[in-house]
Amino acid sequence: MISLHKSKVKAPWPYRLIAALGVFTAALLTSGCVTSTVDEMVFNEPTEGIGDSTVVILGRRHASDYETEPDFIECVGDHISSRDKSITVINEIDFVNALYPWFEPRTAPLHPADIERLLEQDPVAQRMLELKTEYMIWVDGVTVRSDSAGSMTCGIGPGGAGCFGFGTWSNDSDYEAVIWDFTDRAEVGRVNTTATGQSYMPAVIVPIPIIAPVQGTACDGIGDQLLQFLSSEY
Amino acid sequence: MLPSVITAPDLRLLVALLVVALLTGCGPTRVKVEGSFPAPLMEPVPLKLGIWYPEEFATHEFFDEAKSRSESSWVVNTGEAQVSMWDTLLKGMFTELVPMKGEPSPQQMNPVVDAVLIPFVDELQYAIPQHTNVKVYEIWMRYRFQLVTTSGKPIAEWTMPSYGKTPTAFLRSDQAAVNLAAVMALRDAGANFATSFTRVPDVAAWMEGRRRAPAKRATRAPTAETVMEAATP
Repeated sequence: MISLHKSKVKAPWPYRLIAALGVFTAALLTSGCVTSTVDEMVFNEPTEGIGDSTVVILGRRHASDYETEPDFIECVGDHISSRDKSITVINEIDFVNALYPWFEPRTAPLHPADIERLLEQDPVAQRMLELKTEYMIWVDGVTVRSDSAGSMTCGIGPGGAGCFGFGTWSNDSDYEAVIWDFTDRAEVGRVNTTATGQSYMPAVIVPIPIIAPVQGTACDGIGDQLLQFLSSEY
Repeated sequence: MLPSVITAPDLRLLVALLVVALLTGCGPTRVKVEGSFPAPLMEPVPLKLGIWYPEEFATHEFFDEAKSRSESSWVVNTGEAQVSMWDTLLKGMFTELVPMKGEPSPQQMNPVVDAVLIPFVDELQYAIPQHTNVKVYEIWMRYRFQLVTTSGKPIAEWTMPSYGKTPTAFLRSDQAAVNLAAVMALRDAGANFATSFTRVPDVAAWMEGRRRAPAKRATRAPTAETVMEAATP
């Protein structure tokens, strides 16, 4: 019987260093630059944290020409819950379904005082009690693409395929998060973040996208500020 | 072993497949709306409501013919999703929901209920980014409702709009986006109906009449005291 053993051969350290530098340089090259600004104004921070209460992050979807992206809301929620495991962030869709039809674009409360009107209904008050929601965070905004320029030509033939050209565009994010204290029925903070970034796509046979993570930066910016507000550890 | 020559039946099959492939490419873009709809969270309206879905409602299909060669025709089938949404909503919204056996009329035998609701989709419009240059897919619907007695006598008739939209997303097809917009429009229809039903003037007046009627009957009904008083000379 012949047994085969695979042995893992490690490359000498200079090669590993060169490889690591290569990956680092490639990462730098393939991500564009992003400029981000975050403004924050909060009151009555829960200095001891929110305990076993929960937080829900909801997107505003009233505007006719844009929608706050559901994946941005998910990103902010994940950002908070992954950095402070003690904070429970209720999934947006689960929350909206659990309280249907009171958080649809047509019926969602626009002001903290509207919560009072909602809680006058026993089934709604009961459900909110079960969900233990202490803070409701409304996020309004969008990421748009602007200032596209350049051109690219791609072709295919018997000998192969390839592209040639250069394209560039910029993305702009503008989001505002409004924090409502559910117990006091009051607005306790606003966090605004804007981010701008230029992406490039040079192509010599193979297009190489150098994407600026604009929405991701805006998500991190707003997520960090909300984490500082909600968490006792930050 | 592979055949070395293409026989006539093989060739015919190949041509037929090619024609089918070409015709499939020319057909309209079809969307069968699919989604799940939550039950409403509210105090049930104290009514035993009957529901009758007309054939054109239960199989509702919207067809939009392409206006130019670069555009595609669209067929949006909402019937099944409509019935699913309205069944879920009305079951949670009223104390009891009873499906009718036929269209309410004096000749039709149906279970006894307080009133029967008959929904219609009067109009449906859609917009995709290629039409508007705005990066949202939109569906707009106008419903018409008839509230009638079991024998078909009209109680109220009113219209109601609903609207749903969804943004463009990376790797999401036009069909998936139109489906999502239609689901949002159906949810909006449910939300609008749930919050406005008792405020429709004719419905409100009818419900007020129902509320007063038992009270009147109670005041008119002879009590033991009034019978005794009447009997006393």
